[in-house]
Amino acid sequence: MSQIGPIFRALMRNKVGALLIALQVAVTMTIIVNAIHLINARGDLMGRSSGLDEANQFYVTSVGYANDFDAPYVIDTDLGGIRQLPSVDDAVQINAIPMSNGGWSMGLQTKAGEGENSVPTALYMTDEHGLNTLDVELIAGENFKATEISYRDRNTRDWPQSVILTEALAKSLFPDLSPTEIVGQTVYIQSNEPLTIIGIMDHLQAPWTGWTTVNHSMLVPNKFDSPYSRYLVRAKPGQREQAIEQVEQFMKQREVGRMVRETETMTQVRMDSYRGDSALQAILWTIIVVLCIITALGIVGLVSFSINRRRRQIGTRRALGAQKADIMSYFLTENVMITSVGVILGIAGSIALNMWLVSSFNLPRLSYIYLPIAMIAMWTIGLFAVWGPALRAAQISPAIATRNV
Amino acid sequence: MLVMNNITKVFRTETVETHALKQFSLTVNEGDFVAVTGPSGSGKTTFLNIAGLLESFDDGEYTLDGRSVKNLNDKQLSQLRNEKIGFIFQSFNLIPDLNLFDNVDVPLRYRKLSKAERKERIEHSLDVVGLANRMRHLPSQLSGGQQQRVAIARALAGNPLFLLADEPTGNLDSKMADSVMSLLEEINQSGTTIVMVTHDLSQAERAHRHIQVLDGQVTEQKRGAPELATVNA
Ligand SMILES: Nc1ncnc2c1ncn2[C@@H]1O[C@H](COP(=O)(O)OP(=O)(O)O)[C@@H](O)[C@H]1O
Ligand SMILES: [Mg+2]
Repeated sequence: MSQIGPIFRALMRNKVGALLIALQVAVTMTIIVNAIHLINARGDLMGRSSGLDEANQFYVTSVGYANDFDAPYVIDTDLGGIRQLPSVDDAVQINAIPMSNGGWSMGLQTKAGEGENSVPTALYMTDEHGLNTLDVELIAGENFKATEISYRDRNTRDWPQSVILTEALAKSLFPDLSPTEIVGQTVYIQSNEPLTIIGIMDHLQAPWTGWTTVNHSMLVPNKFDSPYSRYLVRAKPGQREQAIEQVEQFMKQREVGRMVRETETMTQVRMDSYRGDSALQAILWTIIVVLCIITALGIVGLVSFSINRRRRQIGTRRALGAQKADIMSYFLTENVMITSVGVILGIAGSIALNMWLVSSFNLPRLSYIYLPIAMIAMWTIGLFAVWGPALRAAQISPAIATRNV
Repeated sequence: MLVMNNITKVFRTETVETHALKQFSLTVNEGDFVAVTGPSGSGKTTFLNIAGLLESFDDGEYTLDGRSVKNLNDKQLSQLRNEKIGFIFQSFNLIPDLNLFDNVDVPLRYRKLSKAERKERIEHSLDVVGLANRMRHLPSQLSGGQQQRVAIARALAGNPLFLLADEPTGNLDSKMADSVMSLLEEINQSGTTIVMVTHDLSQAERAHRHIQVLDGQVTEQKRGAPELATVNA
């Protein structure tokens, strides 16, 4: 380390190669910082809770084909039977599966009338088993009563009277009221049709994971009279495999003129829903690794080249008393200097690129904790890359100082 | 203070063995100015490299300043080179990216000297070679003779026991060679031991002693009177 001054001055006389490596480090750091930021931002999205008991849930699809198919009868007896199965905790018919990217949305407003402000929400139709099957807790008010549940079909236009809202939706409708105060309030659907809020549930995601109001969901006490029907089943903890088997077996052995199709676990639904995000993360990681390797190779190349060019100089230094460790430390120090310039440029670059991403793609702002981490990473890559060539430089014999090669 | 006894050095490559030094014996005393001549390939540089601890040898004894160097490790050898030996090379071997001050500083940096002391030594030794006013110049801005003077200043700055010079004037024209030669004589007169390889017999005459290396051995050794050297100058 006693050589910092002369190393720096010698470096200033060979700026081009060093500057190219510094730029490479800067670009790599800029991309790495923002890539990790994107990876983590995706991770945050993927890590959001759906509100469900995903590990124990699955859905199964039933499609009636018989001419005399009686949907309400089949649905009610299916659910009655499924709920009796030993590995099943609870089950409901539901119109949309959370995270599946398919479902229904409606607008709710606190004042009746066309043109009033309305708040978008996902709409789930369930019976009084909905809360338990979904694994959603009430934080105020109460659940639907069995007597409130009605069947609707394609042509039904009006809505049941009572609804249960997520806390996020309730807060967005009534920002100034507490959950207990919100219970009993009236909201309007389809501009003018009043609904009474009977309960507030803690959390339930809408089916669309990319939706800005993904936490806006409501339950209405409906079942859907249609030959096409989906049951969401919640198994007893750890018994999903058995439950799937038992539910399928139970449904298939009933001769009611329908086919049992498409069983999918909620774990699978989540994976499908975030497949694009996982792929993006994998691509970004690949880019990071490849860039690090390219940078390391660039450093290896530059240092090897400069060592070959300076063989005689290294031999001379050895002849003048440099120990092997001095030669090592010369190249390590030189490398830290070059990397440091790159890292400083990299900080500026990282922030600039992030500002551009924030303004162009509405991405979250960079957390500054990434910067020191990336700096250390770049220094480590630099030292790692320079180590081998520096070790070889230290092996250069002092005798070459006098040999005319 | 430099005693070599039956030193043997063999270079082995895949196909050939070169016996560069065979039973090479030589004693250099304090204050000596020894000129080494001999045909190309006779082993002069090999002798100088071994004397300067740049190269190991296969057999024999080498005692430097009363200490056998045979079993020293690389670190100890580096320290000895740094503290006891000053090197002067045929092609100067200055570091092109460093100015004269930093060049002379190179060996001093490998010792634990204070910054002030290094500065004083650098300025003094550049003064001795007459280049104190060019300290911030780069080697490429100097003539060959001046560059060799810087190399001599670098060798002197560490206060070595002796200077080893391998054809120090080999790359210089006769005028510059003469001035470098005079500088070496001055340095020797102020007490520094010098061993110098040269192919120039008139220079060899100017040294106190003139030895000849032939086929890896010291074959001829004659003492020249210091007065003779002065007459020839
Ligand atoms: N590193 C080496 N490998 C193989 N042979 C060498 C090496 N260095 C010197 N030699 C051989 O040793 C002999 C003596 O060389 P050297 O001491 O350089 O002679 P001089 O300096 O007198 O010209 C020569 O034959 C030379 O080719
Ligand atoms: Mg030679």
